[in-house]
Amino acid sequence: MQLNIQHVSMTYPNGKQALKDLDLELKTPSLIGLLGPNGAGKSTLMKLLVAALMPTAGSILVDGEPLPKADRRLKAQLGYLPQDFGLFDELTVTEFLDYMAALKGLPDPKAAIRAVVRAVNLEEKARSRIRTLSGGQRQRVGIAQALLGDPPLLIFDEPTVGLDPEERIHFRNLFSRAAQDRLVLLSTHIIEDVQSVCDCLVVMDHGQVLFTGTPEELIRSAQGHVGVFWEREEAQEAGLHITARVNTSQGVRCRAVADQLPPYAQAEEPTLEDAYLYLTSREAVQ
Amino acid sequence: MGKIFRYECKRLLWNKFFFGLLLVSLFYGWQVLSGVTILGVSHTAPFSPWSFGDYLCRMVPLLWIGALFFLTFFTSGRARRAAVLTDAAPMPPRRYALARCAAALAGTALLALACLGEAAVFYGWYFKWYHWSTLLLPALVTLTPPLVFALGSGWLLGRLRPWLIYVWMPVPFALAALPLPEALGLWNGSFFTRYPLTLEALDPAFSLPPAAAAAQCVLLAAGAALLAARARQGRIRRQAGEAGI
Repeated sequence: MQLNIQHVSMTYPNGKQALKDLDLELKTPSLIGLLGPNGAGKSTLMKLLVAALMPTAGSILVDGEPLPKADRRLKAQLGYLPQDFGLFDELTVTEFLDYMAALKGLPDPKAAIRAVVRAVNLEEKARSRIRTLSGGQRQRVGIAQALLGDPPLLIFDEPTVGLDPEERIHFRNLFSRAAQDRLVLLSTHIIEDVQSVCDCLVVMDHGQVLFTGTPEELIRSAQGHVGVFWEREEAQEAGLHITARVNTSQGVRCRAVADQLPPYAQAEEPTLEDAYLYLTSREAVQ
Repeated sequence: MGKIFRYECKRLLWNKFFFGLLLVSLFYGWQVLSGVTILGVSHTAPFSPWSFGDYLCRMVPLLWIGALFFLTFFTSGRARRAAVLTDAAPMPPRRYALARCAAALAGTALLALACLGEAAVFYGWYFKWYHWSTLLLPALVTLTPPLVFALGSGWLLGRLRPWLIYVWMPVPFALAALPLPEALGLWNGSFFTRYPLTLEALDPAFSLPPAAAAAQCVLLAAGAALLAARARQGRIRRQAGEAGI
C-alpha cells in the first residue's frame, strides 16, 4: 500500500491553518512515528488520511488514486484509532466489536473478534458492558476495533494515552509486529513510544514537516549540539534550550541543546529526545 | 445491515429510559382510556373510530417524545464521538443510515403498538369488543404522519445541534394549545371531537375530509423526504468536529 500526500494544505473554516504545503510518501511495510508538539497538525493530517476531512489544497493518493474517489477502497483497508473517540456504552465489548466487524464487512467476525480481544488483553472483559470499563480499557477497545480484520493500513492517533507503562510496552511491541507487513502510522508526543519501534520518523510543527528519516538520522542531526553543565548562574542558560535538570550532591546538572554549545558545556551523545527537542527548538528560534 | 439494525434496536430499546417511557405511556394511556375514551367522544361509542382516534391524538405527544428520544442515540455528543470510528468503516453511508433509520422507526412503532395493544385490552376488558380492524384506518391516519415527521425533522435538527431535539419535543403540546384550522385538526386532536358532529348522524362511519387527508399526506411526505435526505447524505466533511450521525 502506498499513500502520497502532495502539496496538502488545510485551513479550517475559522481561519486556522493546520497544514502548510505538506509532501510525504508512506509505503508498506513501515512503522512511521509522527512526532510533534500539541497543535503541530498531526491529528489534522490523520483525519485527512482517513478521509474524515478534505484538504483545502493539494491531494492525497491511495495507491495512485486520489481521495475522495478512493474513499471506499481506503476504508476497506483501514484500521483507525482517533485521539478522541466514543464507544457505544450500552453494548458489551464483544458486541461492540461485532458491530464494528459488521460495518467493516468482515467474513468471519467471531474469529476476528477473538484474535483482537486476545491481542489487547481484554479477554476477561469481553462480556462486560463498555460503560463499566476504565479509561485504559476503553482505549484498548479502541485499539481492538482498529485491529479488527488485520487491515493493511493502521493509523493510530495517540494510542497509548491512558495506558499503564506495562500496557504501553505491550502495545509498542504489538504495533511493531503489525508493521512487519503493513503500513502503520503512529502519532504521539511521547518519544519513548516511537524510539524503540519506528523505522521512520516524521517530525511536524506549525503544520509543516521538519524532518523525515530514520531515528538514527534524527539523532545524528543533533550530534555536537547536546551538552551538559553545572548550573551556576541564570545567565548561563541564555541561548540554550534546557532539556533536563538533575539535582545531584554537587549541585544541579543541566542538559541542554543549542546551535552553538557554550565553552562551559561538555558535549554529550544525543538521545532521540534531545534530537527532537533540538529540531523543534531550532525551528522555534527561526 | 441486519446485524447493525439488531444492535441499534438493542441500544435503543434495552435501557431504563425506554422502559420508563413505555411505563409512562401505558399509565397515561390507561388514564385516558378509563377517564375520557370510556365516555365516548361526540356522542359516539367508546370503541368507535372517533373515540379511538381521540385517544390516539392524546397519545401522539408522548409517542412524538419517544421518537425524538430514540434519535438522541444517534445525534448526541457521545454518538458524534463514536461516529469518528464508524465513519472510518467501509460500509456505504446510505446503508448505515438506513439501518439506523429502521431501528428508530422500529422503536417508535413498538411504542405505538404498545398504546394500540393497551386500547385493544381496554376494549376487550370493558366492552368485550374485538372488531379491531375497523380501527386500523384512524390509527394509520393519526399516528403514521406525525411520527414519521418527528423522526425526519428530529434527525435534521439533531444533526444541526443535538439540543434542538429537546426543543422540538414539546411541539405537539404547543399545537394542542393552538386554535388550528379544521384541516389541521388531527394535529391538535380537535378533529375527532368536532368533525363527527358535522356529519349529522348517530355514530357515523369513519371518514376524513379531503383537506385533513391532504394535511396528513403533506406531513407524511415531508417526514419521509427528510429521512430519505438523511440517508442520501455523504460522510466526507470539510469541517473539523462534524461527525456523521
